[in-house]
Amino acid sequence: MKTMRGKNLKIFVGCLLVVVLGIGSIIYIPAIKAKRKPVIAMAFCTLNIPFFVEMENGVREEAKKADVKLIVTNAEDSAAKQMAQVEDLLIQKPDVLLLAPVDSDVLVPAVEAAHKANIPVISIDRSVNSDKLITFIGVDDVEGGRTAARYVIERLNGKGNVIMLEGVIGSSAQRDRAQGFEEVIAKNPKIKMLTKQTANFNRTEGMNVVENLLQAYPKIDAIFAQNDEMALGAIRAIKAAGREDEIIVVGFDADPEAKDAVRNGNMAATIEGSPYKLGITGVKSAMQYLEGKKLPEKILLPLDLVTKESLAK
Amino acid sequence: MASDYLLEMEGVSKRFSGVKALNNVEFRVKSGEVHALIGENGAGKSTLIKILSGIHKMDTGTICFNGSKVIIQSPRHAQQLGIATVHQELNLFPALSVSENIFIGRLPRKKSGIVDWHLLKKETEKLFNKLGIEIDPTTTVESLGVAEKQLVEIARALSQGAKLVIMDEPTSSLSQGEAERLFKIITALKANGITFIYVTHKLEELFQIADRITVFRDGCYIKTKEIADCSYQELVELMVGRELTSLFPKVQVELGEPVFKVNNLSRNKEIENVSFSIRRGEILGISGLVGAGRTELARCLFGVTLPTNGEIYMNEKQLTIKKPLDAIKQGICLVPEDRKNQGLVLKMSVQKNISLSILSMFRKTFGFIDGHKESATVQDAVAQLKIKTPSVEQLVGNLSGGNQQKVVFAKEFLADPQLLILDEPTRGVDVGAKAEIHRLIGNFVKKGGSVLMISSELPEIMGMSDRILVMSKGKIVKEFQRSEATQEKILEYAL
Amino acid sequence: MKKTFFQKYGILIIFLLLCLVLSFLSPVFLSIPNLINVVRQISINGILAIGMTLVILTGGIDLSVGSQVALTGAIVAGLQAHGQGAFLAVIVGLLLGAFLGCINGLIITKGGLPPFIVTLGMLTAARGLTLIYTGGRPIYDLSKAFNFIGAGYLGSIPIPVIILTLVLLVSHFVLKYTIFGREVYAVGGNPEASVYSGINKEKRLVQVYTIMGFLSGLTGIVLTSRLGSADPTAGVGFELDAITAVVIGGTSMFGGEGAVTGTLIGALIIGVINNGLNLLNVSSYYQQVVKGVIVVGAVLMDNYARKKQQKISE
Repeated sequence: MKTMRGKNLKIFVGCLLVVVLGIGSIIYIPAIKAKRKPVIAMAFCTLNIPFFVEMENGVREEAKKADVKLIVTNAEDSAAKQMAQVEDLLIQKPDVLLLAPVDSDVLVPAVEAAHKANIPVISIDRSVNSDKLITFIGVDDVEGGRTAARYVIERLNGKGNVIMLEGVIGSSAQRDRAQGFEEVIAKNPKIKMLTKQTANFNRTEGMNVVENLLQAYPKIDAIFAQNDEMALGAIRAIKAAGREDEIIVVGFDADPEAKDAVRNGNMAATIEGSPYKLGITGVKSAMQYLEGKKLPEKILLPLDLVTKESLAK
Repeated sequence: MASDYLLEMEGVSKRFSGVKALNNVEFRVKSGEVHALIGENGAGKSTLIKILSGIHKMDTGTICFNGSKVIIQSPRHAQQLGIATVHQELNLFPALSVSENIFIGRLPRKKSGIVDWHLLKKETEKLFNKLGIEIDPTTTVESLGVAEKQLVEIARALSQGAKLVIMDEPTSSLSQGEAERLFKIITALKANGITFIYVTHKLEELFQIADRITVFRDGCYIKTKEIADCSYQELVELMVGRELTSLFPKVQVELGEPVFKVNNLSRNKEIENVSFSIRRGEILGISGLVGAGRTELARCLFGVTLPTNGEIYMNEKQLTIKKPLDAIKQGICLVPEDRKNQGLVLKMSVQKNISLSILSMFRKTFGFIDGHKESATVQDAVAQLKIKTPSVEQLVGNLSGGNQQKVVFAKEFLADPQLLILDEPTRGVDVGAKAEIHRLIGNFVKKGGSVLMISSELPEIMGMSDRILVMSKGKIVKEFQRSEATQEKILEYAL
Repeated sequence: MKKTFFQKYGILIIFLLLCLVLSFLSPVFLSIPNLINVVRQISINGILAIGMTLVILTGGIDLSVGSQVALTGAIVAGLQAHGQGAFLAVIVGLLLGAFLGCINGLIITKGGLPPFIVTLGMLTAARGLTLIYTGGRPIYDLSKAFNFIGAGYLGSIPIPVIILTLVLLVSHFVLKYTIFGREVYAVGGNPEASVYSGINKEKRLVQVYTIMGFLSGLTGIVLTSRLGSADPTAGVGFELDAITAVVIGGTSMFGGEGAVTGTLIGALIIGVINNGLNLLNVSSYYQQVVKGVIVVGAVLMDNYARKKQQKISE
């Protein structure tokens, strides 16, 4: 009985080894063949949410066009994991490293290490607090927050009650979007910010929090959610309470599902962060750098307001 | 002039939420003696020991230790005073070496702060030489036997300057040979001026090891006597408070045809070519040292482990036993050696424990349990076996050792076995409950059951069995008929 | 030995106290719509936590429930997006959940690995499969019939609450009055003794993890239906919420002790805290601190009562 188990285990381990080696060779044999092309490495903070999936689509599209080899990693929102992934990427000696950092401060050593290895780094979406960056390509989240606030004020004719759903507290998107939104709201004394609550950029939580807030506040005119996931959750809660005529919802990021919601009138507006454009611009800038062109220190893409009208165009 | 008493306790009382565990007791121990403290479970021995070792505080009373009045505050305080306790459950670090265990917390260091292993080993050897202990200081504790572990604990206590060593049931899991070695060392230490308080259920040991005895009963002090002035019968009567006719009542049973047969059973190196048969109504005793393969044999017959070789027959029919459930279905039940880990689910009630093996008897549709039938069956068993419990809903962990063991017996009896395997059936059980368990075993064979009984207690084996097999190193080395067995002969083959 | 009132109903009293305090602080707290709101919100965690109670009763743990929720949710939504009916999708979802749980159970028993490791592996693998299947994007636009499961009402009672109630009742009776339930307690209370008592421990463990998987699948369906979309990141951290509810509810992490009724109160306490903090407009920064303090405090009070009881029985 014992020996039987031992034998089974050996067979199992053997099979596992074969599978791992097999997959390994499938991945690496083409990598050895396809040399000579320029290589761009793209280290994503996460690929588990639509925003970065869209960005990856942009990157892939442009890389195909420019005929470069692309290596992509996904750190699943863990800074430590991303550090390790960047270290692994550096060993493969890419020509340019595109980095969508998990955190602006924690990833500084990664950028320094790349600099030491003579590999240029371009950061996308979030910056890294290091002077070793070639450039930073991002969107202006503060300005995005302002745009959302202006739109809300316009829709409410300058008077009404507003709630803000915040993202993960302490993340740069949460800080910047809140800063821009609150700055504009504060200038309009007739607009009252009832409360701001976190729903961690998460749809389920967005729905639960709004369900609770609907109980607490009999009169709400607008909800600004710092991303579309929370906005979609909020809409679900509002609909269930039958208060969709009373409350407008503004999201952020213009995910495909959010755009659909704007198109059919469930969501009033969202802010186009255009991750797709970010991805394209990232690869383009990398190619320009390789051709020897000088890049500006910061490339900020404009943020557009997406409404039913703008989508109809 | 200081008295010749090392420890004097007077008027000591202790209550636990209204229940008097100790009622105005006195206890005096002379310097350099081995003083046995005896009594049935619940007599207050453990409470007294816990007060001495600083785990509980007494409500009233005085303690005079080494000539001065003390109030023992904590286990650490007890240690500082020079009172050490060697518990049933040992307090050692199994993965560390013997010497590390002895000097843990005060390992000798070099100037750099690194442990001075050389000095550590030398110190340990010095200590062992003085105490007459022969253990390699560098072996890990987990590779030692229970007796050796106890010696390590004693050595640790003495190296910390203990004057009084309390031994709580030290021989409960030792074989006869190991116990003998322990006694030798205790005697040697006594000669060096160390005082012992010795708690045990095994009264026969006392005549060999103790100088004086004190008896507690129901939380009260009964008597202190020189052991030389006592008879075994008298000790038992002092403890139980009534007369016991016989401790090992051998019920006369007409033996029937062989029921259970084992042929050439082997398992790795643990048991080798074991063959025997048991007749209807027979009690077959198995004796031997710890590690001789007795428990391994029991586990193998019950399907906990699988034999590598050999056949098992019941009523001429060969059995395939792959797991305990198979064994139970085919009429073999086991009262395991380790009641707390193998016999009972301590967190469950008396009722749920008793019915655990036989739940299928109460099955209704959809697997629901017939609660009425279950509780009636259990109530019946509790009454028949005279299990002392406030109700069947009581958690089994709250019962005394003897009653817990009776719960295990109730559970096995209800499964209606043909063969009952008993592994140390009365370990850690007090004298009164022991007699009752022996009576239960007697009743079982009288009704036509067969018993395979493993026990380290020679008087029990000799008193109960019809035949005795002696095991050594996995083999059966000798078979005795009841009439021809003596302690000396059995030991001669077991060693 | 008798348990005192507080020892027996300690966690319920803590829950009622919490409600009392909240009803003073917020006038809407005790309103019917808000109470319905709370029970609907806890139904997701409640279903998972009941399954988790079974697992923890056996002395095990299942860390993979959140990922199982996401994977079943994605498949159920995906089938509908590919034109399959809601009914078939739901059946497939439930079977898939049970299958994932069964795999956990088989590896734990046949492979002899600790549940922590096995389900940690499943946590990562199932999440990965979800991302592969969805390509990282949510699947939305589900049928009306399907949305009814999460958003519909029977009379004035939300469907998820009815599902939770059914799960609670069935599991309560199964644990308390069936042979299966009794053996689950025994296996957790003392695995070795349960084997010696002739219980098929391995079979019971596989069954328990399969039930857990089935309930994860059910949760995935309810959640997807409630949100109207299957989000590949759904269910992250659900295992911790479920475990928290179980522990607050007084089930021992060592196995063999506890009940699903306690778990329900545990889930209610978490739900009421979340709801109350939202109603009271507590700053997001402080919310997490308050939650942590209340959770540990509740378990501490409960533990204190039990310890006292244990001392008495010694």
